[in-house]
Amino acid sequence: MAFHKINVTINDDLEQVVVPSNMTLMHMLRESLALTGTKNGCSAGECGACTVLLNGEPVNSCMVLAVECDGAKIVTVEGLAGKKQLDPIQEAIVQEGGVQCGFCTPGILISSHALLKRNPNPSEDEIREALVGNLCRCTGYVRIIESVKVAARMQSVTT
Amino acid sequence: MTMNTHPSLPEFEYVQPATLAEACEFLASHAVEARPFLGGTDVFVRMRDGFLTPQFLVDVKNLKGLNDLHFDPKAGLTLGAAVNMNRVIASPEVKAYYPLLAEACRSVASYPLRTRATIVGNICNASPAGDTIGACLTLDGVLHIHGINGPRQESMASFFLGPGKTTLKLGDVVTAIHFPIPPKGCVGMYLKLGRNQLSDLSIVGVTALGYPDSNCKSGYRFRLALASVAPVPLVPTQAETYLANHSITPESVHEAARLSTDACSPIDDVRGSARYRKQMARNLSAKALAEVWKKLN
Amino acid sequence: MAKTDRQDIPSPIGENSPRIDAREKVTGAAIYADDIQFGNSLLHARIKRSPHPHALIKKIDTTKASALPGVKAVVTGEDFPGYIGLYLRDRYIFCRGRVRYVGDPVAGVAAISEEIAEKALELIEVEYEILEPVLDPEFGASPKAPLLHPDLGQYAVVNFIFPQAGTNISNHFKIRKGDVDSAWEKCAAIIERKYRIPQIQHVPIEPHVATAKVDETGEITLWVSSQSPFAQRNLIAESMGISQSKVRVIAPYVGGGFGSKAGVSMEALVVAIATKVKGHPVKLLLTREEEFYTAFVRQGLVAYFKMGCDENGRLLAMENKFYWDGGAYTEYGVNITRASGYSSSGPYEVPNVRTDSYCVYTNHPVTGPMRGFGMPEMHAGLEQCIDELALKIGMDAVEFRKLNCLKTGSTLVTGSKMHATGLSDCIKKTAEAINWGTKAPPSAPNKRRGKGLAIMWKAPAMPPNAGSSAWVELAEDGTVNVGVGGQELGQGVFTVMAQMAAGALGVPYESVRIATPVDTRYSPYEWQTVASRLTWSMGNAVANAAKDAKRQILDTVAEAWEETPEDLNIVNGVVISYKSEREIPLKNLVVYGLPKPGDQGWRGGPVVGRGKFMPAYVTGLDPETGQGERAVVHYTTGAQAVELEVDLDTGRIEIIKGVSTFDVGKAINPEMVKAQMEGGFVQGMSSALFEILQLKDGFVRNPSFVDYRIATSADTPRELQAYIVEVPQDDGPWGARGIGEHSMVPTIPAIANAIYDAVGVRLEGPPFTAEKVYLAMLDAGIVK
Ligand SMILES: Cc1cc2nc3c(=O)[nH]c(=O)nc-3n(C[C@H](O)[C@H](O)[C@H](O)COP(=O)(O)OP(=O)(O)OC[C@H]3O[C@@H](n4cnc5c(N)ncnc54)[C@H](O)[C@@H]3O)c2cc1C
Ligand code: FES
Ligand code: FES
Repeated sequence: MAFHKINVTINDDLEQVVVPSNMTLMHMLRESLALTGTKNGCSAGECGACTVLLNGEPVNSCMVLAVECDGAKIVTVEGLAGKKQLDPIQEAIVQEGGVQCGFCTPGILISSHALLKRNPNPSEDEIREALVGNLCRCTGYVRIIESVKVAARMQSVTT
Repeated sequence: MTMNTHPSLPEFEYVQPATLAEACEFLASHAVEARPFLGGTDVFVRMRDGFLTPQFLVDVKNLKGLNDLHFDPKAGLTLGAAVNMNRVIASPEVKAYYPLLAEACRSVASYPLRTRATIVGNICNASPAGDTIGACLTLDGVLHIHGINGPRQESMASFFLGPGKTTLKLGDVVTAIHFPIPPKGCVGMYLKLGRNQLSDLSIVGVTALGYPDSNCKSGYRFRLALASVAPVPLVPTQAETYLANHSITPESVHEAARLSTDACSPIDDVRGSARYRKQMARNLSAKALAEVWKKLN
Repeated sequence: MAKTDRQDIPSPIGENSPRIDAREKVTGAAIYADDIQFGNSLLHARIKRSPHPHALIKKIDTTKASALPGVKAVVTGEDFPGYIGLYLRDRYIFCRGRVRYVGDPVAGVAAISEEIAEKALELIEVEYEILEPVLDPEFGASPKAPLLHPDLGQYAVVNFIFPQAGTNISNHFKIRKGDVDSAWEKCAAIIERKYRIPQIQHVPIEPHVATAKVDETGEITLWVSSQSPFAQRNLIAESMGISQSKVRVIAPYVGGGFGSKAGVSMEALVVAIATKVKGHPVKLLLTREEEFYTAFVRQGLVAYFKMGCDENGRLLAMENKFYWDGGAYTEYGVNITRASGYSSSGPYEVPNVRTDSYCVYTNHPVTGPMRGFGMPEMHAGLEQCIDELALKIGMDAVEFRKLNCLKTGSTLVTGSKMHATGLSDCIKKTAEAINWGTKAPPSAPNKRRGKGLAIMWKAPAMPPNAGSSAWVELAEDGTVNVGVGGQELGQGVFTVMAQMAAGALGVPYESVRIATPVDTRYSPYEWQTVASRLTWSMGNAVANAAKDAKRQILDTVAEAWEETPEDLNIVNGVVISYKSEREIPLKNLVVYGLPKPGDQGWRGGPVVGRGKFMPAYVTGLDPETGQGERAVVHYTTGAQAVELEVDLDTGRIEIIKGVSTFDVGKAINPEMVKAQMEGGFVQGMSSALFEILQLKDGFVRNPSFVDYRIATSADTPRELQAYIVEVPQDDGPWGARGIGEHSMVPTIPAIANAIYDAVGVRLEGPPFTAEKVYLAMLDAGIVK
């Protein structure tokens, strides 16, 4: 199997990585770069634990080949916070108790962050729809949905 | 049950052709071992499950033109094969002229998955459950295909041969899907019944499209397409013809729903029984038609 | 501060302290077992599994697999003759001689990559002689069934489990209370029903993962996603015939457990493989698919209920038969049978009860503990019968429950007395919150609306002497490090332990840390993180350890100040004297002690408080009658209600509103208690509406998220209310008892009762899928 050398920007750092054809973006992040914030819950696009931003849009990183990311910009949960402070959605989910075991949390944060970027003031229905691919077994989602609403309010105050 | 699901993707070579011709040639010369992919959301899953074992995956999404979304008020909409579903949903032209297409896309999986999943992939996968196929059928989609003998076009209506089987030939790459400007005053709707509220595959899906048409006795033409009730995405033509020839009343809508149910040949599977599917084909057809009719007036 | 205040509940007990682990978890910094980096010496394990539900292994040939380049070890059951199991040792690590379910581990491979390990699996040749499988627990319990464990009579077993040698019954628990037979005559109404509750899976979003390394001296280290580091140390050591001191288990954050990561399951496999490749860490990560059919699943249940009441609605008698589908191995599951037996009356006072609860071997996936430990399954039927009985006798279902439910001092089904309980308040609050007795119009003409309510009880199910221990240590700056052996699974136990340590010691919450990850070499002993027992049991240990540390500190200061410790206290990290009003911050003394005046030496020194807790009062039950002094430590009780709509066109159910009220004794962190109630409600709802392991001929037909659906953000009710009742537990820390599991116990019957209220149909069992509801309505003529 061939290996490919790719250049990819991850959380603002330019990385050069050598990846085999069949390596997924999720595996590259977790195994090659030890960015283990991105979680593996199913490897099949179903659970959302592996969600990252690929060129600004959320994807299931288990459903993307690493080699496809040559030249791309990736943001993982590790890159969500600014230098000094957490992203509003991180702040909100802590405050609202939307984290329990935390395994779904990285994916939930990325999906929510992306939702708030494309729709700064989402309705309850829009939040539920945006998170439908991020399974959480612990919280029952109520506090997560609330967190997104709170983050939206936080953002509207700061901007 | 698949007992041999791989932990991750089995080995293959990633191929990125520079041109369409190169892609077709590579595919044609590697018969069964090579497979084109766009979002990969079907291909990867089936490779992990061991159903597909390609040696080469040919990435066609970066080929010239495949990412274009082009709308012309006269000619209609052309979606490059690689245009992902979220782009379709977000497009103002789609929203204005083809809201049914956006609605169908929105019913697929989740937002992150739709960043990758494409309508053309959904069509080429040729699952009877494909959620966007009904919209493409009723909106008279035409596939633009590039084969070893050059480009050609194929209508959606004759494209599906069986589960996973299409008229695509060795070396074919679908480059785009084109939709004519929809009939004036048309109203469409996609009713999808899954086990969950959202995100599931359909147990039954019903696409209905209606528009005023003076050629029809009723004054309206209705188009229908049903998902997950037959080996291929199903167009119940008898129901369509019936509605063209009878004035639209609650009774005729019910009769059309019955006719579309008659056309179904569902199976029992993990998602639902044939008995339930028949019932739902009827109820959802009736409901979709009634709703469309309501909006037409 | 006034002296009398000292007896009050100290801060931050009862406050909504922020989660101690939240920041780590939202930045991606929190480490889970699969995140640990092992470097290039890491090997990957994959497991060869049985494709048959029941067969004899005639031959295993591993030569080709061993010869594959990159393969470092291939192991089979041959080298591991020891049995393993928690309550009943009925399982080998790798199969020996016989396979009992589709997925049973037959061989294991360690290789330099997962791909090579996978290829090696294909090269292992196994010859089977196929045997008739047992696919139904009632059939399995009958004499006609083929025997799955011919050696059942020889298995080692704890003294409260009763396997029936020569049958497939691995435990038979009996209640014989009062005179059931003659009670029926006195009944004005009797209901008899059968229910079938399917196997479901826990579905933690983090799949099982374990990495094991064995060094040259044979010492084992296991890094694992685990609810039970100590039980794993113990059971693996016992099975391998080595000292517990040779097994070290390191257990970081768990990405959801719900019981599936309790006891030992796949962990022993990877340890066994690692013994063959000394020096190499070997990792086994279950695929999601394997998770569904080879990790624990919840037991299936076929339940028969008969219950009757007098003309005033007073329950007179109950007769219950439970056939638990225990699957291929029931080493853990046997105790579910027992728990459901000693709780088989439900939360009611019933004078005459006869129960037979059987744990039956089948050729289905291995069952084990899951959130609720038999109670959701049992209550699913029982609480529907109660509704039906109330209807039959002409009483409102809530009034019927209020009349019959357990009150403080009620006689329990095991003959002992109920401790102080707020169950009646829970019912009242829940009924109020759901506006019981009123009916709102449906949201659309093709919908029907209904309400349902159900109540519950559940005790921690565990050995009578399950123990906890803790230490509390202070650093130079007065911050506190708390050692525990219980696990953070998401339930928030580390936060609660920090609150308790802070409260008991008198320091700010922010100055407390939990010593993580749990490591059996350094952490104090904890039986397992199960049974909703940690807040209560480990909480007592932590509070005791903190008090011990406090005593050491106050003794030192009292000596130095020539005062008595009784006049001193620690408040906000400062030792104060109520008498002399002197003060000294902890940081000035907790490591270096205090100098004696005039440079005449020192007193005090590093402070390490120790604490333990083990209930000493749990007694056995008579094996023939199930009667005894005190079968369990306590019962948490509560109620749930739902309001839902049924779509007549599709049968689809939408839960509009859910209400939960539980008596938790004392909520140490009320918001986290409510979060448990919400999460449990949605998991219960998911099991009621969607979840089933579709078994056919022993095969799981839906082993993936594609076809095993769980509730998503779009399915969760728009209104979810949670209320706390606090009737203190006499031996709980500040009165607390557990809540983790209870919140999904009454959800299935509450929903079933609401469906009945809406459309008048009842189903044999969950999940109440759109299809099942619709077809039931169709068959009943409710829809056409
Ligand atoms: C978690 C998950 C949820 C899903 N949910 C849904 C759902 O709700 N509804 C639904 O309908 N589907 C669903 N799917 C299936 C899948 O996402 C869709 O079918 C999607 O539209 C496929 O698009 P793709 O671009 O990813 O296709 P790919 O996987 O790239 O390709 C699909 C097929 O088309 C062939 N192909 C691709 N491109 C070309 C081309 N240019 N020319 C010729 N052949 C080509 C491939 O060889 C393959 O056979 C789901 C999948 C996953 C993983
Ligand atoms: S791991 Fe990618 S969606 Fe589950
Ligand atoms: S917090 Fe555990 S899965 Fe969401």
